[in-house]
Formats: sequence, C-alpha cells, structure tokens
Amino acid sequence: MKKQKNEDNLYIEQFLAGDEKGFEMLVKKYQNRALNIVYSLIGRDGESEDITQEVFLKVYRNLRSFRERSQFSTWFYRIVVNTTYDFSRRKRHFVNNEGILNNIVTGRRGPGDTLLGKEKERMIQMALKNVPFKFRVALVLKDIDGLSYIEIAGVLRCSIGTVESKIYRARKFLKTELLRSRGESK
Amino acid sequence: MKECIKIKTLLSRYLDKETAEAETILVESHLNSCPLCKKELLELSRIKELVSGKERINLPENYLINRLREKIARKRQEPAEKRPSLIDLGNLSRRLIPIPVATFVLSILFLFSISTGQKASETTLEDNLLSGNPVSTEAALEVILGVED
Repeated sequence: MKKQKNEDNLYIEQFLAGDEKGFEMLVKKYQNRALNIVYSLIGRDGESEDITQEVFLKVYRNLRSFRERSQFSTWFYRIVVNTTYDFSRRKRHFVNNEGILNNIVTGRRGPGDTLLGKEKERMIQMALKNVPFKFRVALVLKDIDGLSYIEIAGVLRCSIGTVESKIYRARKFLKTELLRSRGESK
Repeated sequence: MKECIKIKTLLSRYLDKETAEAETILVESHLNSCPLCKKELLELSRIKELVSGKERINLPENYLINRLREKIARKRQEPAEKRPSLIDLGNLSRRLIPIPVATFVLSILFLFSISTGQKASETTLEDNLLSGNPVSTEAALEVILGVED
C-alpha cells in the first residue's frame, strides 16, 4: 500500500510540475479498476465507459486541489462512486445493455465467455441492480476491487462497522434476488 | 441460539478475513458444532464467489488516454467566453453575483426614469404653451415670467 501511495504521489507531482505523462500513468493504472466498478454498479457497457471518462476528466480538473489530504486511491474511488451515483440518479431505468464497449474492450476475463457463463453473468448483474445502491457500492468495492473494510470506510466516509453491515446486507439482498430470479426462470 | 445470533453478525466479516484473531477462533469453534451457521456461511461464501468471479472488462491501454486528450484539447480550443475564467469563483459565487449586478442596473434605470420624467413634465408645459394647448393661467405665468419657488 505504501509503495502504491508513493507511486501515485510521484505521478501527481509529475503532473503538477507540468508533465501530462504523470496524469496518463494514473489513467493507465486506474482505468480498468474504475471501469469494472462502474460496470458492476450500473450494468451498462457504453455508459460505463462514458462515466469512466467523466471520472478522469474530474481528476484532471481537480488534481491540483487534491494536495494529499488523503490517499489518492481513496479520493479517486470517491469520485468514481459519486459520478456513478449521479448517473444512476439521472437514469433510473437499468438495462443490461451489451453496448459499444463489446467492440472496444481488449478482453473479458471471467465466466462470460460461454453461453452458460453469459446467462449467469446477466443474472448476477440483474440481481445486483436490485440491491440498494448504498449497499451495492460497498459490496462492489469489496468483491470487485478487493478493497479492505478500512479502505471502503475511507471512500464512503463511514465507520468500519457500517461497512461491515452494508456488505452483509448487500449479500443477503443478493441472495434473495438470485433465489427469486431462479424461481421466475423455472 | 443466542450464540448463533452473535456469530451470524460476524460471518460476512469472517468470510472477508476481517475478523480479529479472537473473533476468528470464536467463529470457527462455533461452526464446528452448528450446522445452521455453517449453512449460512456457505451461502454467503457462494454469493461472494459469484460477485468476485464476475467477468472483468479491459480497455486497450491507450484508448481512454486518447479520448481524454481529444476532450481536453477541445476544451482548450473553446472560445475564451465559453471557458471558465482563470479565477474560478465556483457555483455559489456564480449564483450570487447576478443579485448585486441586477440591483445596480435596476437602480440606474430607476434614477434615469426619474430624471427623464422630470424633464418630460417641464417640456410638456412649455410645449403646451407654444402649441396653444390649454394650461392653467398660474402655470402659464410661471413659465412666461420665469417664476421660481
């Protein structure tokens, strides 16, 4: 974590000194993490890419005011979550849309390669969208990006106990949703 | 049963390897003797597996950077009046600034209307006299003799 912090700070210093390469290194490092969090939260390919782009534009505009008050990653994930939340508030309808990103992404790693895998993937994504956002976001940060409870608490500005409760409730919601969708498909 | 309630609150955290050592020992010794909590843990574990096993999507290395470069360059090329000023005053300032500006403009308009209104009333009396329109004798004498208060 310390190595990561130093690396991010070096990129930031490089950018603040006028070298845009520093910003580009941050984009390369965090672009797929952001994209997968956004995609898991909203379930739309093309829009996930647009939101990810918006996230990095916000980072570009505000990096000068960042000033290491917290770790860059905490600040960055907060922007990812807030930008996605704003989007989901604007667009209430949730559709699992296999959009333009299918043609852009270099690869999909996971069960989506087979027909059975695709159906399973769709069911998980549809069940996830029915989990309230405040619980879903904690679960996605944990199980998609692998953040620790203390890191999630920093991103969501809440206590570790609250993170624990949100993740537990998200898993219970998800279980109910998956059982319901399995019942409907029978 | 009372212990089950306590253990269930720890299961999700235990699954994420976030429990303290003492809590881990407590959970594991309980699980050895409680099939219900064991079942709950298995279900939570399956859910975690499903979410963390979700497919990951990857963008080509320079794809987003190129899009961002284009977007940032386009912003820079926008006419100066469209771009935010060098001193960014923020949303609140932008909302508050029109209030004193509008007050100033309205005050100027008000003062202007008063002065033109006075002028208009003076010229109307003289114009009426010259054009032969009826005016009161008192008012006519005031204008002709140049009587002032």
